[in-house]
Amino acid sequence: MAKPAQSKPTRREVLKLAAAGAAAVATGPWVSRNAQAKPVSIVFARESAYVKNFDEHFQKVLVPAYLKETGIKIEYMIQAAGGSAPVQLVSMVENKSGADLAWVQQEWLYREALVDVSDIAEAVGKQQGGWYEEIKSLSVEKGKWKSVPHGNIGQCMVYRKDWFDEVGVKKFPETWDEFLEAGIKLKAKGHPYGMSMGHGFADNYSWLYPLLWSYGVTVMDKDGRRVALDTNETAKAVEYVKKLYKEACIEDCIGWLDPANNKAFLTSQISCTNNAYSIMVSAKRDLPEMGKVIDHGLNPKGPNGQRYHALVPVTHGVFTFSKDPQAVKDFLRWTMDPKQYRPWIASGDMYFAPYLHAFDKVPEWDIEPRVKPYHTVLETAKLTSWPAPANRQHGEVINRWVVIDMFTKAITGTPTKTAIAEAVRQIKTIYG
Amino acid sequence: MSKVLEASRAGALAAPARRPFRFDRVRAVVERESVFSWLMLTPPLLFLLAFLGYPFFYGVYLSFFHREVARAASFVGLGNFVTLSNDPIFWQSVRNTVIFTGVATVLKASGGLGMALVMNQSFRMKALTRAMLLLPFIVPTVLSTVAWQWILDPGMGLFNRLLVVSGLATTGPSWLGNPTMAMISIIMVNTWRGLPFFGISILAGLQTIPVDLHESATIDGAGTWGRFRYVTLPSLLPVIFIVTTFSIILTFFDFQLVYVLTGGGPANSTHLMATYAYSLSMGAGQMGLGSAVALSMVPVLGLLLVLLTFYVRKD
Repeated sequence: MAKPAQSKPTRREVLKLAAAGAAAVATGPWVSRNAQAKPVSIVFARESAYVKNFDEHFQKVLVPAYLKETGIKIEYMIQAAGGSAPVQLVSMVENKSGADLAWVQQEWLYREALVDVSDIAEAVGKQQGGWYEEIKSLSVEKGKWKSVPHGNIGQCMVYRKDWFDEVGVKKFPETWDEFLEAGIKLKAKGHPYGMSMGHGFADNYSWLYPLLWSYGVTVMDKDGRRVALDTNETAKAVEYVKKLYKEACIEDCIGWLDPANNKAFLTSQISCTNNAYSIMVSAKRDLPEMGKVIDHGLNPKGPNGQRYHALVPVTHGVFTFSKDPQAVKDFLRWTMDPKQYRPWIASGDMYFAPYLHAFDKVPEWDIEPRVKPYHTVLETAKLTSWPAPANRQHGEVINRWVVIDMFTKAITGTPTKTAIAEAVRQIKTIYG
Repeated sequence: MSKVLEASRAGALAAPARRPFRFDRVRAVVERESVFSWLMLTPPLLFLLAFLGYPFFYGVYLSFFHREVARAASFVGLGNFVTLSNDPIFWQSVRNTVIFTGVATVLKASGGLGMALVMNQSFRMKALTRAMLLLPFIVPTVLSTVAWQWILDPGMGLFNRLLVVSGLATTGPSWLGNPTMAMISIIMVNTWRGLPFFGISILAGLQTIPVDLHESATIDGAGTWGRFRYVTLPSLLPVIFIVTTFSIILTFFDFQLVYVLTGGGPANSTHLMATYAYSLSMGAGQMGLGSAVALSMVPVLGLLLVLLTFYVRKD
């Protein structure tokens, strides 16, 4: 067999090779640094939005625009709604992989795994009218922003205006007592309230915590050191909820998970519940007649003359385990630019209410006037940790439904004082 | 003989003599039973170690540590178990798990036996009926549980509609909104789901009982009950024992059903140890404490199984 010809390299070829090698050595670090700095793709994990257009806008408008502008592909990882997303996020943090950027639900569990994004949040705040103060207690830790607030999923009273009118309640009740009074009349007509009190993840605390606050009660004191729940006002609030449940609510609601009140409302089993405005979205789409008679009201005022709402925040955070956090931050900054941010928010029919004052008077809020209360809630909305810091212990109180169960235990026969004492004991154990 | 021919012959002799020799030796070693059995066992063992052993031992390790999500672990010895021993919800979840497992298993075993006895008779469309009865076991739990959510709905649900339409009640009960009813509901759904497993397994057992045993018993004067008590039941006992053991394990660790139907509510009345472990680990971020709850299930389950084994052997 013939051997392949092995010719000696010519002098010219040797020189060429040497020159190429020298160039590679000189430019090598620069090239590799930039190759690393510019990832091919960024994985963005976000729970699916209730308003379909919102996710579609992101995928069809923002993703191609960013690819065109930077050459970076954004992989949009849509997580199923219904409470499983935080578990996936916890799992990603534990395994240090899965996404670069995410809607960091329950971020208090894993702030250590989030990159400082103060530069973005401060610049965005400065540019767009400033942030609502309350959201800072979630996103800012020890003076550093660990997430950039994106929007609030408002929680309000959703009610059947036609049925309220029938019992002579022309305006949504202003106080919890009036709310009870109207509920008694409605239940007598076969239209009970359906106030979620089960082991769900938002519709339960979105009215029970504001109710407690409007009785002048908070779970912890301002520093988060002392349990503040053990008061006579708590007992009054519990007694009120017992009465409300017995005299105005559907029996099932103490066991409800989050989808249950949507289902009960849309099947005309209940006249009022506390929810995001998803019920109206579904009704307008599938049950147009019902869609016309749904309205929204603010949470009633309590004995202390105040009304409150619970924040259900959407914040975006960059994971420390991302291969190139700076590139991810650049993308996050880009999404918060009004050129991208405002149409994105509008595509979701304002389902996510921005925490930025620049959006207080935008005309998008006038498209469906019945949605406006979901913006108004921002003025009186607090985090469930309020007034204490939103830390891991507070998350544990929420996720173990300690306060919710205090109410349901009392409803199901535990003496009010015992139910409160058990909750206090549990909270003390959690806070250590 | 030419040199070329000699050389080629030498090569031809040497080459085949060396190669089969090596292969035979390898084959002989592999075919030795002790080696071959280990060769066959190694892949599944590695699989089990990786996907069952590692999580289990990691769980055991975690249960001795105070370990929060995304934070370093600190050794606490039996601290997590001490915390749990003072936690009334933990004890409530233990109680709930025992009641749930006990009642559901008894219902599944007795119902399954009945189902098998009926299926063992000859009737029209027997094969189709048998196949249909397997459905609850085949449909993914999450899917069937979502269907049960609708069935148990207070106003629109099938049960309450039937109760109202048949005139048995003006309004049906709150299946998931009342602590006692919620426990009954989850037991009912679990029984519905597990019944075919018992039914089919016991039916297989029934078909292995020789006909002569029944004939001899009949000749000896045994009636239907006598044949069942002294022939069928003793012959089925090993099958019932194995199926019950499996069922206890599966029911004890049931998670999906409760997670989808009640989330452990109302007021923790349906919290099982599995759902409580999950809510502590994944919800509250307390990986150590959650693992301790999960680990607490192991000795309880072990004890149950040992007791059952002794009982059956004694019998």
